[in-house]
Amino acid sequence: MKGKRLLVLLSLVAIAALAAGLAAGVGSAGESRANPTGKSYKIFFLPKFIGIGVFTENGKGGKEAGKELGDTVVYNGPTEPVGAKQVPFIESAVRQGFDAIVISAPDANAVAPALLRARARGVKVVSYDGDVRPDAREIFVSPPLASDIGAFQVEWLGSQIGYKGEFAILSATPTAANQNTWIKWMKVALKKPKYRNMKLVKIAYGNDKPVDSARETQALLQAYPNLKGIIAPTTVGISAAAQVLSQEGACGKVALTGLGLPNEMRKFVKKGCARKFGLWNERDFGYLAVYVAHHVLDGTITGKIGETFKAGRLGTRQVVNCAGVKPCVVLGKPLVFTPQNIDKFNF
Amino acid sequence: MTSRQLLGRLLGRWETLLLVAIVGVGAWSATLSPFFLHRANLLDLVTPYVFIGLIAFGLAFVVIAGEIDISVVSTLAVSVVSFAQLVQAGVNVWLAALAGLGVATALGLGNGLLVGVLNLPSLAVTLGTLAAYQGLAFVILSGEGVSSFPAGYLRVGGGYIGNELPIPLLVLLGLAVVLGLLLHATRFGRYVFTIGANREAARFSGVPVARVRVTVFCLSGLMAGIAGVFVYVGYFGSARADAGQGQLLDVVTAVVLGGVDIFGGVGSIAGVLLALVLVAELRNGMQLANLPGDLQNIVIGGLLLAAIVSGNLIRAAQAGGLRIPGLGLRRKEVIAADAEAGVPVNPTVETRQGG
Repeated sequence: MKGKRLLVLLSLVAIAALAAGLAAGVGSAGESRANPTGKSYKIFFLPKFIGIGVFTENGKGGKEAGKELGDTVVYNGPTEPVGAKQVPFIESAVRQGFDAIVISAPDANAVAPALLRARARGVKVVSYDGDVRPDAREIFVSPPLASDIGAFQVEWLGSQIGYKGEFAILSATPTAANQNTWIKWMKVALKKPKYRNMKLVKIAYGNDKPVDSARETQALLQAYPNLKGIIAPTTVGISAAAQVLSQEGACGKVALTGLGLPNEMRKFVKKGCARKFGLWNERDFGYLAVYVAHHVLDGTITGKIGETFKAGRLGTRQVVNCAGVKPCVVLGKPLVFTPQNIDKFNF
Repeated sequence: MTSRQLLGRLLGRWETLLLVAIVGVGAWSATLSPFFLHRANLLDLVTPYVFIGLIAFGLAFVVIAGEIDISVVSTLAVSVVSFAQLVQAGVNVWLAALAGLGVATALGLGNGLLVGVLNLPSLAVTLGTLAAYQGLAFVILSGEGVSSFPAGYLRVGGGYIGNELPIPLLVLLGLAVVLGLLLHATRFGRYVFTIGANREAARFSGVPVARVRVTVFCLSGLMAGIAGVFVYVGYFGSARADAGQGQLLDVVTAVVLGGVDIFGGVGSIAGVLLALVLVAELRNGMQLANLPGDLQNIVIGGLLLAAIVSGNLIRAAQAGGLRIPGLGLRRKEVIAADAEAGVPVNPTVETRQGG
């Protein structure tokens, strides 16, 4: 028992020492401010998670823009798409004195308090891909408009199945904001007379994980023997679904479309498992987001609708209102990949 | 007991090793990044992990009692969404929080009854409730979730005093003291250790085994509720059905790295707290140095493995015979058993083969 008491004492001493260290701390951190006179900034690029092609490509584009602008761009993030796990990266970026954070959020709300703290210290926040709560950022860089992404995918599927038959959607998680918005716009598009014979039978969720997505695809094939097509508006989902269709010998019987990466889908396109799918240029996306962050920092972009700015090789861009999400900058229209053009893309 | 023996006993404690590791990692982090030693950073580095720590405190009781509860992260999700729904329905936010804690405790009770009364294996039971409670959370609140709560309420889990001292850190330390006293200074705490060390022996010596086992699961649920309703919601400002997903590994890391024996009977709240600080510090240092997230996971995973291996080596030494005079590394029970068998308690012989 005496030993225990001594341990407690030792811990107290250690804590006191730590506290003394704290009190004598070198100074307070995070006093970062955007340098209003200089032209070179530090930008922290925080994807939903690292390790998948899309975000790697975004990061490459961001660094490319940083090089052109003379900015330092650091790309880092958690290994799972969990909002709570992005927060320590935000805190760390603030402490290191970054001038801006470019973020794609899996949870629009969970990062908001941390981003608000960052903004209170003068850090500018630009969201892209997965938007955050509007009060937690200056501006959102949107992929092609949600209405376009929704409508294009319905058309890509419809044109493969003769605009007729049952189909399902294989999404990421039920809480993913971008997924839900695209699905909403798919439903809007489906109301057009052209698509009246296409019937959405099920929305399945593969959690943006290959294993879950594959399992959900198998379940769809079993539960709906008349299934004519699957729309998977997630790069993880579409490649897992293509794999399953290929294994089950269902390529050609069940059409597959959605949003996918050319590099991951190339072999399935060649096999005829996914003859038409799309995305946007992910490298341009990250590139544009960093250009926007830079112009927010140098004051060119204040958030007024109609402002224009130069975005390097993407030309002059405009600040707009994206169907209620504002202020916003749009990347462009979706790209479609087919067996004819897929070899032109490498990401 | 001589002072040399006392010192030896201290040096052999897991908590001491953790303290040394914390200082070591701190020194390493300071070389990694010039921002590490800033006061604001040091004060804030544990904050994002406070909710993990609170869950780990509750789980520590369960593990010390010789069981496991992997449903804690789903319990957190259910309590958070129940709370959010009540707030949305216009219930006073503090009452709703209380109700959220009630729900969490009830979910813990569910686990406790299945394990403690029906004597089902806790790994299987809580694996089932991990999935079931997660599903329940989505039933209660699906979609984008709730993010509008009164600012005064959010301060409990996400506020700062003087812009630097995080309130959740105080919540963590306060609850560590309360739970530390409960585990180490009450009859209930002694029962938990006794059951974890040898459940049959505990039963024969009159410990109310079933009641204590049910209680530890309730406590585990309650702690997940506190972690969720106050700290998770307060710090992240978000209540969604997927709250807590992907966090189980961190919770278990804090418990195991904290020196809690996964076979039961050994552990301390101080150890869990120190382990949490160590992991938070390590992540903070690596983040400030902008080391890639995947590399960070490898380091944390390696640390956990090292902890398990060295923990087991120490225990093997304690139980097996690697006796170093004065170090007091051996478990009391072993010493007692040896004494009965006529083995001298404090021999001068350094090693002995077998048990």
